Amino acid sequence: MAIQPEFYLLLSAGVFCAGLFGVLARSSALMFLMSVELMLNAANINFVAFSFYYGNVTGQVFSLFVIGLAAAEVAVGIGIILVLYRNFGDIDVTEPVTMRW
Amino acid sequence: MAAFDYAPAIAVFPLVAFALALFGGRYLPKRGAIAGIAATGASLVLSLWMVLTLATGADPHQQTLYTFVAGAEGVASVDLSFGIFIDQLSALMLVIVSLISLLVHVFSLGYMNDEGETGLPRYYAGLGLFTFSMLAFVFSDNLLMSFMFFELVGLCSYLLIGFWFRDDAPSSAAKKAFLVTRFGDYFFLIGVVAVFATFGTTAFVGEESFIAMAEQAMPGSEAAVPGVVSDWLGVVGLSASQWFTVVGLLVLGGVIGKSAQFPLHTWLPDAMEGPTPVSALIHAATMVAAGVYLVARMYGFYALSPTALGIIALIGGFTALFAATMALVKQELKQVLAYSTISQYGYMMLALGGGGYVAAVFHLTTHAAFKALLFLGAGSVIIAMHHNENMWDMGGLKDRMRVTYLTFLAGSLALAGIFPFAGFWSKDEVLYETLIHGLGSTSGTLLLLGYAFGLLAVVFTAFYTFRMVFLTFHGDARTDTAEDPEPVRWNVKVPLAVLGVLATVVGVINLGAIKNFIGESNLFLHEWLFHGAEGLNGEHYEQLLHDFAGYSAADLGPLGPGAVSLALALVGVGLAYRLYGGADPDPHMTNLGSIRTLLMNNYYLDEFQVWLATGVTAPVARAADTFDQGIIDGVVNGVSSVSLFSSDRFRRIQTGVVTNYAALLTLGLTLLVLVFALAGGWF
Repeated sequence: MAIQPEFYLLLSAGVFCAGLFGVLARSSALMFLMSVELMLNAANINFVAFSFYYGNVTGQVFSLFVIGLAAAEVAVGIGIILVLYRNFGDIDVTEPVTMRW
Repeated sequence: MAAFDYAPAIAVFPLVAFALALFGGRYLPKRGAIAGIAATGASLVLSLWMVLTLATGADPHQQTLYTFVAGAEGVASVDLSFGIFIDQLSALMLVIVSLISLLVHVFSLGYMNDEGETGLPRYYAGLGLFTFSMLAFVFSDNLLMSFMFFELVGLCSYLLIGFWFRDDAPSSAAKKAFLVTRFGDYFFLIGVVAVFATFGTTAFVGEESFIAMAEQAMPGSEAAVPGVVSDWLGVVGLSASQWFTVVGLLVLGGVIGKSAQFPLHTWLPDAMEGPTPVSALIHAATMVAAGVYLVARMYGFYALSPTALGIIALIGGFTALFAATMALVKQELKQVLAYSTISQYGYMMLALGGGGYVAAVFHLTTHAAFKALLFLGAGSVIIAMHHNENMWDMGGLKDRMRVTYLTFLAGSLALAGIFPFAGFWSKDEVLYETLIHGLGSTSGTLLLLGYAFGLLAVVFTAFYTFRMVFLTFHGDARTDTAEDPEPVRWNVKVPLAVLGVLATVVGVINLGAIKNFIGESNLFLHEWLFHGAEGLNGEHYEQLLHDFAGYSAADLGPLGPGAVSLALALVGVGLAYRLYGGADPDPHMTNLGSIRTLLMNNYYLDEFQVWLATGVTAPVARAADTFDQGIIDGVVNGVSSVSLFSSDRFRRIQTGVVTNYAALLTLGLTLLVLVFALAGGWF
């Protein structure tokens, strides 16, 4: 056994960066949602890894909460995307820019 | 002291009448007049009871009714309260005010109700409030309460002078009365604050009153200087007598405004635009009397300062003469009376400044009787003449208005100071007191100057009074209205008769001129005022005047000066008879030419005051406004425009693109981590 915790951290950092890139660079709202999901799961990896490392289940419980939170967030996000599509005929987030100064 | 328990009711009755007339006047008999008569009658009865209680040996009564601001315990703090103080002076004044007010209410039945005026509930409400304010002012036991009711009196005069507010003249006269007296009251207010700052109290009565403390603080008094006063004198950096002079003169500002002394007298002649009964009330008992009464009330304070006394005497004497000259040429009945009022209050101020406390109160009393009489008589004539006030349109009324003529004549004889009418005794005493103190004191020059003014004014007073009488009542009728005047009813005649008797006989309370024959102890008013509260009676004031103001009386009998003033008055009457006593008098005053124009225009003082307002005050105010708008507001606006500009630039980061917000969030988090890292020393 015994994969060193550094590897988990590296994996988690990699997944998080992928998600961050998606949020910053993509213009499709669906891609946004997926990228956010990636970032949340990167955090989950950390929770589970450290929970395992310390032999304490608190981290795993927290990851369950994060998954629940992610589900709720997706439900809201999908709703927003639907409205976005209905109003602009597209789900490109660079389109609706009227809410500014 | 059962009697004094009812003292607050003296003022409450007119207040109730005010409320009744204001809210239910439309449904009351005579539109509220009956309620007012009942209320002032009850006040009069109670006031007489107070006098009687005091006369039978009761001590003066002081009682705090309501403390609306209570200072903290144990620290230097002040209590603000309403209280009553019934002593010999205030009880006498209460009787005067409620009596005049009662007669004015009765007279108003004839002058207002019978003439079919509209808005009567408002009129009677005003009279009620006016009487209430004045009565409460009179029995105030502290200076702050006095000030509040002083202001209320001013407000009521505004309301009543402007009773016929639909015309231009009354409403502008009301405004003028309000503003001019307010100008004086401004100084009074500062004076009240100064008294608070100096003494920590404004009470009139007792060891802890500001009057008693001021006396203790004077150099040369045996008592120790109260701590609060010496602390404050250290702050101002003046000696006790200098500072008390300043405070006294500040309060005097309010007195000059209310009692219509030079140079703030200009409102009073204009106030003739109000209904005549109101003029009688204002001139005889309320409002104008308030100023003189205030000085008498705190005379123990003024007696400490020879400078303040000298100024009071000089202002009074000058005003007496100054106003009398203007009365010489007026053609309207009420205008003559208005100037005579200013002049007579000048005499009272002269007496106060000249150390004649009793003389001033005496003249206040007799003047209340004969001036109310003259105004009500004038009102009667005005009813008869269908509201024409020009004396040149009258003439010959003496046979057609017997009661009015006889009472008016009694009032005129009193005003002119002819033996044995009331005015003779009091005016003579004013002049006599001023003369003996002027001759006997080291610093008597101002008093002698005031005396000279006053003596000269006697001739003028007698002249204009009898010019008025001759023009109005004697000779041939000069118009058809004067030929057949409208008759007046009982409600006009009864007040006239009461006042006519009073104006004739009220002098007996102080027959000063013949005191060598009747004995000092038979000067009733003198005795009355010399037995007041501890430290607030004439005897104590004389002591103060002698110790601190350096006043002492010259050894001079009262007969000689009395004969001089009587002779001068007779000269005035004789001159008036010679010029206007004929069947068809000529307008002799036109011979004066440019002097007459000057007098008719009141020495152009009104124009001067208007010029002061428009030519001096308005440009200064405009300059201040420019400074305010340009410099003060400019700085504020400059600061805000900087922040407006920067926020305008700054808000441009709100692009509306979600991606940018996400990037900013990330950037911010990264920066935060970096800062923590650097600060935490991770590298």
